[in-house]
Amino acid sequence: MCDHTNKNIYLPYLATVAEVVDETPDVRTLRLIFQDEQVRGSFHFRAGQFAEYSAFGAGESTFCIASSPTRTGYIECCFRSVGRVTEELRRLEVGDCMGVRGPYGNSYPIEEFYGKNLVFVAGGIALPPLRTLIWNCLDLRDKFGEITIVYGARTEDDLVYKRELMEWQERGDVRLVKTVDPGGDGVGWDGRVGFVPTILEETAPSADNTVALVCGPPVMIKFTLPVLEKLGFSDDQVYTTLENRMKCGLGKCGRCNVGNVYVCKDGPVFTARQVKGMPMEF
Amino acid sequence: MKSIDTSIYTAVTEAIRGEAKRLLSEGQISVIVGYVAGRRTGSAQPIVVTNAADAAILIFTPACVNNLAVYLTKAKKEIPKSGKIGIIVKGCDLKALVGLMGESQLKREDLYLIGVPCAGVLASTMQPAAGLTADTIAPKCRECDAHLPTGCDFVPVAALPPQLQLEGVYTAEIARLEALTSAERWAYWKEQFAKCIKCYACRQVCPFCFCEQCLCDRNKPQMVETTPRPAGNTAWHIVRAMHLAGRCAGCAECERVCPMDIPLNLLNRKMAKELKELFDYEAGFEVNEKSPLTTFTEKDDQSFIK
Amino acid sequence: MQKYISQQNLNILLDKLIAEGTRVVAPRMDAGTPLYEPLKNSGEMLTDQLPRRSAKEAFFPVCEEIMSYEKERQQITLTDVDPARFPETVLVGVRPCDAAAIPVLDAVFSWDYKDEFFLERRKKTTIIGLACTIADDACFCTAVGLSPSDTRGSDLFLTPLEGGGYACETYSDKGETLINNHSGLFTRQSKTKTLPLAEPQTEQIDLKKVKKWLDEHFEDPLWDGNAVRCVGCGACAFVCPACHCFDIVDEGTEKAGKRRKNWDACGFWKFTHHASGHNPRDLQPKRYRNRIMHKFKYYDDKFGQTLCTGCGRCVRICPVGIDIAAIVEDISRKD
Repeated sequence: MCDHTNKNIYLPYLATVAEVVDETPDVRTLRLIFQDEQVRGSFHFRAGQFAEYSAFGAGESTFCIASSPTRTGYIECCFRSVGRVTEELRRLEVGDCMGVRGPYGNSYPIEEFYGKNLVFVAGGIALPPLRTLIWNCLDLRDKFGEITIVYGARTEDDLVYKRELMEWQERGDVRLVKTVDPGGDGVGWDGRVGFVPTILEETAPSADNTVALVCGPPVMIKFTLPVLEKLGFSDDQVYTTLENRMKCGLGKCGRCNVGNVYVCKDGPVFTARQVKGMPMEF
Repeated sequence: MKSIDTSIYTAVTEAIRGEAKRLLSEGQISVIVGYVAGRRTGSAQPIVVTNAADAAILIFTPACVNNLAVYLTKAKKEIPKSGKIGIIVKGCDLKALVGLMGESQLKREDLYLIGVPCAGVLASTMQPAAGLTADTIAPKCRECDAHLPTGCDFVPVAALPPQLQLEGVYTAEIARLEALTSAERWAYWKEQFAKCIKCYACRQVCPFCFCEQCLCDRNKPQMVETTPRPAGNTAWHIVRAMHLAGRCAGCAECERVCPMDIPLNLLNRKMAKELKELFDYEAGFEVNEKSPLTTFTEKDDQSFIK
Repeated sequence: MQKYISQQNLNILLDKLIAEGTRVVAPRMDAGTPLYEPLKNSGEMLTDQLPRRSAKEAFFPVCEEIMSYEKERQQITLTDVDPARFPETVLVGVRPCDAAAIPVLDAVFSWDYKDEFFLERRKKTTIIGLACTIADDACFCTAVGLSPSDTRGSDLFLTPLEGGGYACETYSDKGETLINNHSGLFTRQSKTKTLPLAEPQTEQIDLKKVKKWLDEHFEDPLWDGNAVRCVGCGACAFVCPACHCFDIVDEGTEKAGKRRKNWDACGFWKFTHHASGHNPRDLQPKRYRNRIMHKFKYYDDKFGQTLCTGCGRCVRICPVGIDIAAIVEDISRKD
């Protein structure tokens, strides 16, 4: 829930760029620290929520909050430079100022996952919306059963959070299966080769007492959901996040709806059952 | 009040129906773009007819204001473009089609042109039941030189009944504006453009605004502000007038559709006047592949080079 | 209890309010186009024409600044907009189709997050509705459950009487307050008959049946059939009393500028266009479907209301003669 103390719901918080990490040639992570002390202390969010990030003069762009709510004092966003705002955000350096409005949207019902096994399935730039939850769960490791991460991208260069993939690989309590598309493996690639849905099927996680969290480009989702079904996952055991063009992020501008579902308010986190019930409009 | 003789519209309607039915049932065309009556008394709206039985609903009346050429441009992806396309055109609409052919957007052999003799259409279809009179007729029709389109594949009824001679309004209004000082003229247009709400109806009905992404819809860079404020509105309308100079066929749809009654056709007629004076160019029924602003000849006016 | 106000006293009331500094907004002629605009004096008010645009812009302007920014080296300063500066307003001569739309819009503008730009203006505005004695065949308020004398949304409602003047009835504290503050101008209503009210020709449409059809026909040839003529402008959305979609843009330079909230329309091609190039509503039929769905299904799903008051403006203004009343009537007749 948004914590605004001022009445203008469209007014962003100011945040300073504390760290810039190039995940891939066109994907960047920014670590942000709110300038206002009170906001720093009171900004709470849940994994899955998103924010509207301002590059003043260019506009706002919608990304998930990619850091975990268990790690306070900063938030992170991760984006590919595709349009005017993201290109402007890419020009920011450490010490520069940008805007953050949020947190908006619903979140993963993490409490319902306690005691269960988790399977994270992600592709390419779509790892950030799951990464927030991955760290949230790893920071509360005892609460969950087995944690499996299946993550792939077109090539090794396109993998994001490369440092963290190594961390996850080295931890004893997570099973990481990383892959690149056929033809995407270079010299020294120590992961699998194959499309994410294929590798997921080969990994064959058990559906028993397990929740699957999927995030990826539409084509990956299209082929992953049937694999999960084959493995025995019901539509209520599978979660995904949707994205859509947004402006206000808070249910008023009328842009992000998929049928009667507002992605910014009813989502962005949905179960596969909810997604299958939506009209083909995303 | 002078009433305009619209008796031939009934004959034209019958003829269109017959021809459309014949063409569709013989498979000579795959679709025909024409007009059909709407729910409101006297109203008409564009329609795409694909089977011969539906040809019976086609009409031609003074409420058939739309320039159907817009539906044949690449901006309108929904109209099936396979096979020969039949289209109903008034003289003004035909000029636009001819312009599009000149710009390689359409091929004459892909079209079956049904040119209609037209005594005029309504200035506005907000009240479509209004009869066609000197007061309700579209300003463009008052100075029309294209009552009978030529070069078409079929023209029902070979001639028009005698026309009322109506005085044009654009020439006089342009002369009035030209006689103002720049400051007065600027004040006039500032007031007009302040009314604009950026609905883009003018752009969307214009057959020449067929860019798949309008320059002003791009944001890298943002050429013109999107906000409906006087400065951005002025820039928008000037950009559009300049992009249409030498192309606009004078169908005046932009002016008709503007919800805020901005006299947009004045801008286009002024540009047309300049093009006529500078390059002896005007829109007509002959396809011209050498548009004045995309070609250079040695006798072009060079007085602007100081 | 019904009161009476003569035309003369209504003029005195409006002039008094204007003199006090209250913004009095009413239908007035603006260079040949009737619009709801601030009056300079009561004589400007029109009572016989439907304004080209709706009254929603008294609460939801065509464009407005929501903040400004300044950049000095690495630091940005934001300046907020003070809602206290929105003026006290009396909106008068508002047609039932316009007044009824305002409470419908309240739902979305207060859904979870309170949009003070809209709500503050709402708080400061008193709405005086006016019954309609004329209608044309584009009017279809009766089809969507309203009428030329519907009082929904009005704080005070005027019905024109034979012989001049108006019967007035209050429907809220704001209406009561307005009468009490100017009680000398109002008298008891005697049994004068009202002028014959307009009779739109459309019959009540079964909106529940329409919604049920929409629930089940996301895919249907009806969308192609109707949208083939739609050219994708925003005229219908902009003249509509109930449409409320908007855009947020930054305009200015890197050093300084403003962030604005402007009207937008789902009919535009780029409304749902992603920066990646993907567009879930890439063809006009999908966009037109969204318009009908939003008005007659989604807004009901979310807020229990229909997002259309039958004013007929979109019907009159559509460049290609799309008639939403005809479409909805057509749907209501399907099995």
